[in-house]
Amino acid sequence: MGSDDYGKERALIEIRGLGKSFVGQDNETVEALRDVNLDVGENEFLTVLGPSGCGKTTLLKTIAGLIPWNDGDIRIDGTPVRGPGPDRSMVFQNFALLPWATVLDNVAFGLRMRGVGRAEREERARSLIAMVGLSGFETKRPGELSGGMQQRVGLARALAMRPRVLLMDEPFGAVDEQTRRLLQEELLSIWEEHRMTVVFITHSMEEAVLLGDRVVLMSARPGRISEIVPVPLERPRSSDVGALERSGQYVEITAYLWDRLRDMHEEHRPSKVAG
Amino acid sequence: MTAAFRAGPRPARRPDVLRRLAGASLPYQLLTFTVFAAGWELYARGWGGLLIPTFTETVAATVELLGSAELWRAMYVSNQALVLGFGIAVVVGVPAGIVLGRFRLLERFADVYLNILLVTPMAAIIPLLMMSVGFGLASRVILVTIFSIVMVVVNSRTGVRQVDPSLIEMARSFGASERQIWTRVLLPGALPAIMTGIRLGVGRAVTGMVIVELLMVSTALGGLILEYRGLFKAPLLYGTIVIILAEALLLISVARWGERRLTRWAQTTTARNAR
Ligand SMILES: Nc1ncnc2c1ncn2[C@@H]1O[C@H](COP(=O)(O)OP(=O)(O)OP(=O)(O)O)[C@@H](O)[C@H]1O
Ligand SMILES: [Mg+2]
Repeated sequence: MGSDDYGKERALIEIRGLGKSFVGQDNETVEALRDVNLDVGENEFLTVLGPSGCGKTTLLKTIAGLIPWNDGDIRIDGTPVRGPGPDRSMVFQNFALLPWATVLDNVAFGLRMRGVGRAEREERARSLIAMVGLSGFETKRPGELSGGMQQRVGLARALAMRPRVLLMDEPFGAVDEQTRRLLQEELLSIWEEHRMTVVFITHSMEEAVLLGDRVVLMSARPGRISEIVPVPLERPRSSDVGALERSGQYVEITAYLWDRLRDMHEEHRPSKVAG
Repeated sequence: MTAAFRAGPRPARRPDVLRRLAGASLPYQLLTFTVFAAGWELYARGWGGLLIPTFTETVAATVELLGSAELWRAMYVSNQALVLGFGIAVVVGVPAGIVLGRFRLLERFADVYLNILLVTPMAAIIPLLMMSVGFGLASRVILVTIFSIVMVVVNSRTGVRQVDPSLIEMARSFGASERQIWTRVLLPGALPAIMTGIRLGVGRAVTGMVIVELLMVSTALGGLILEYRGLFKAPLLYGTIVIILAEALLLISVARWGERRLTRWAQTTTARNAR
């Protein structure tokens, strides 16, 4: 396991032997990732699923170049990752919007950091605001928006960079069920139109299957890839999500993922660990 | 017409003037002030001696003072120390507080001195200051600074600490440089607290200005107070104090107004995403 056989398209992200340990407060080391090997294809939608604390966020942050790692290497299109770059942008679980800035300024934030001139960045920001359905809210501040609208801003900010890789860390985890479904459908249709490579972390099996081309299952302590499950559901999927969710294949894959996840939880039950 | 349409989604304004009056604090302030003034007048007429003027006498003296060149000269001299001293407190205190908030190690060294500044009865410093700096403008300026800088430093430090670390991470992920993190994230995020520090600092600066003149230097406004006391001119003495209070209130209101204007976002966000 661990390695994978995604061969349809050229791998855009190549992760080899990735290992990452944290030194905790009491000087004990936590092994967050061990020997992670993963190829993500160009324009692939990859979802990552696993129990809490298995290192999903850590994996995403290493790809983003936000935190250093101990072993192995990560390449994007052949180039080793040394830090954050304009080819990758991130969408955060807690939105991470600047509360003092307007929607327009928040969406244009990344462009501004990259030195894009005012006229161009505002034009690009406006078109993305329209794409995520927030036209008319340009001058509002995050505090005046609902959670779902705030995450649309977060998505627009990431997309404004025109990244090759979109890194999403449980982006819809903090919004209510109905809003989440709307956001999933919208993300699908945006992605179907503007293909890019997506690494999408989630806690939800349904979400992993609905969105992903493949689902990476991770196990905890130490965090490693336990299995990669292909999702051969037809695309485009955004047109009729309801029918998709009733299809036999969808139900089967979701059930399979739950079986595997339950096994992982069983393995880590205190009685088992003691025995 | 269009304006009316745009106002649509906002809560409709109450046309009812009485209700708005009840909602404002001014009527209550006027009421308490009237009661206070009446009580003062009655007390001073009934039991007041040479040193307690009546309310009306005080008002008359205040008006008289406002027309005298002597007062404005004193105001000018006193406020020189205030403007310079508080200016230094802001120019030094804001950056100092910000740096202390960001770099924990530095803070360990500085904490002791900040605490000393916070708890020392400032009047005790005055003799030391006179001995080393003399009786000129310099020692008055320094005292105003010492009085007010703690508020500025402590609040700026808190402001920087309160900035959500995930915003810094977000900025880094979009390629922000260290300088951009300071100017685009830390400073705007700390601004509400910095403004609070400035508002509280202004009050302390006025106190410092008067105290140093009263206790040591005997010039300007403090000198006037001592002179009127020596001559038993109670109404003028009270009038001077009223004018100093009015100045302090005015400065604090200006600071509060600036605080509100600059940091309107902080009120909406803390109200909505209370974390
Ligand atoms: N900065 C850190 N310092 C110390 N330990 C950390 C740090 N960040 C993460 N860890 C540890 O590394 C492990 C993996 O954390 P990570 O946040 O990647 O998990 P996750 O899969 O994203 O969990 P969740 O599903 O709850 O978000 C956890 O055991 C966590 O306690
Ligand atoms: Mg996580």
